[in-house]
Formats: sequence, structure tokens, C-alpha cells
Amino acid sequence: MARKWFSRWTTAFLLGVLLFQASPVWAQAGTVLGRQTLGRAYWHVFAAYAVMWILVLGWVVSIVRRLRRVEERLGKE
Amino acid sequence: MSHKQTRWAIGILGTLGVATMIVLHWMVFFWVPTESTMGIVQRIFYIHPAAWWVAFLGFGIVGLCSAVYLWLGDERLDRAAVAGAEAGMVFTTIGLITGPLWGQVAWGTWWEWEPRLTLALILWFIYLGYFLVRRTTANPEQGKRFAAVVGVIGVLDIPLIHVSVTWLRSLHPEAVILNPESPMNLERSMGLTFGVGFLAFTLIFACLFLASYTVAGYEYELKLRDANPGGTQRAEA
Repeated sequence: MARKWFSRWTTAFLLGVLLFQASPVWAQAGTVLGRQTLGRAYWHVFAAYAVMWILVLGWVVSIVRRLRRVEERLGKE
Repeated sequence: MSHKQTRWAIGILGTLGVATMIVLHWMVFFWVPTESTMGIVQRIFYIHPAAWWVAFLGFGIVGLCSAVYLWLGDERLDRAAVAGAEAGMVFTTIGLITGPLWGQVAWGTWWEWEPRLTLALILWFIYLGYFLVRRTTANPEQGKRFAAVVGVIGVLDIPLIHVSVTWLRSLHPEAVILNPESPMNLERSMGLTFGVGFLAFTLIFACLFLASYTVAGYEYELKLRDANPGGTQRAEA
């Protein structure tokens, strides 16, 4: 139950962050900022921030899974 | 520190870290002006050097704790070193991926075998070796000692990475914040965003480092109980 809750909220949070990061693409499109991109670099920025979140959350998930294993062991005893 | 205090510390650091990270994202994408030469892609720099800072912090902890572990043999130092190495690997990977994403636009290439990039990649492989040595050595205690030696040797690569842009002919941009000739040579809002980025990464690092260290402590305690059923031996908190 707790694991399901955790994975749902992690996915929702990740999707929220990714959408939030994509927002400047629409917010700044057509403006001076939007034209000043040195090529089409939006996806590079988006990918960089997405990679950061994915790796950090991956580490969070691995720590939580280790903690769950310990708790399950302690629960059995 | 009791278990309850540790959980509180992890919770507070995590909440502050996520909150600062959200503020950072707002600053990067909605507040800070676009840099005139590099354009939008420069926004990667609000996370790239911060990721390297915490990676070096993690590996610094590995080096220090490993050296003292080899001397004193205290298990807590080994656990701290492992937590530091995990952090170092995660944030070095972030640095190694975000750098080429910028380089592809600014340099027109994903990767160049120039000194700083090469030394940074070597650092990643050294700490990959740290985990491999731990896992593959038949005697776990011996594996810990071998890994500690790798951890101490690996940390020597960090100063080389730092000075490589000034001592060697390098394509990588020189230091902006720690440049001895013109330190903090940044527009005010960019400097502030940079600072918030460093703070966010440091808080996230502190939270996850402490969490990983604590869980490793629980695992060690269980291992002791398995090895000594019915005994009252207890791991140091």
C-alpha cells in the first residue's frame, strides 16, 4: 500500500517537474528570449534538468527500497 | 544522534532541499535573464557546476573517511564513505551528462578528449571501481579495505580536475566563481541563481547522504544480529 502510494506520488511529482520545465518553451515562444536560443537548444536544457531529477529520484528510490527491506525483516522478527 | 532525531534531520533537510530546488527552477526558467553569448543553453550552468560541487564533496568524504577507516577500522567511517561514494556517483553522472548537453550546442560536439573532461570521466570510473572492488572481493572485510584504498587514490583526481583548465590547454571554460583574477564575475541575478543552485544541491546532498548512511547502519545492525542470534551486540548509531 505504502509502496504503491510512494511510486504514484513519485511519478506524479516527476511528471509535474517535467511539465514545469517545459513551460518556458511556450512562455517565451515568439519573444526576444524565445528567438535568442543559439540554435534550438530548448530540448538540451529540458534534457539536462530531466536527467538531474531522474538520477536524484533514482537514488531516493534505491534508499527507500533498502529501508523497506530492513523494515520487512524487522517486521518478520 | 537518536533514530528519531536522524529522521527529523532527514525530513527537514529534504523539505528544505526540495523547496530550494523548486525556487531554483522558478529562477532559472522565469526570472534570470538569458545570457547574451550562449543563449538559452547557458541555463544548464545553474545545475552543472552545483552537481560537480556536491560530487566533489561526496568524493571528499570518501577520501577522508576511507583514510581514517584504514587507520582506525571504524565501521561507521566505512558506511559514511559508501554513502559519499553513492552521492559522488549520482552527481558525477549528472555533471557528465549535463556538460555534453551544453557542449553539443556551444562547441558543436558532445565530447572532446580534453584534460578536464577526460579527468572527470576517469574520476567516474575510479568510483565505479570502488563499488566493484567492494562487491567482487571474496572476503567482505578485505573488500572494504581495498575499496578504501581506491577511495583515497580517487580523491587525488579532484584537484587535478580543478586546475586542469588553467595549467593545461583546455577547451573547457575557466572557473567563473573561483577565478583568482576576477572572482564572482557574474551579473547579480545570475550570481544569485547560481548561489541558490549550490544551496539546493547541498541540501539535497546532505539529506540523501544522511538517509543512505542511516539505512546502511540499520543493515549493518541486522547483519550483526544474523551473525550473532540472541546476542545483544549493537551497531554504533
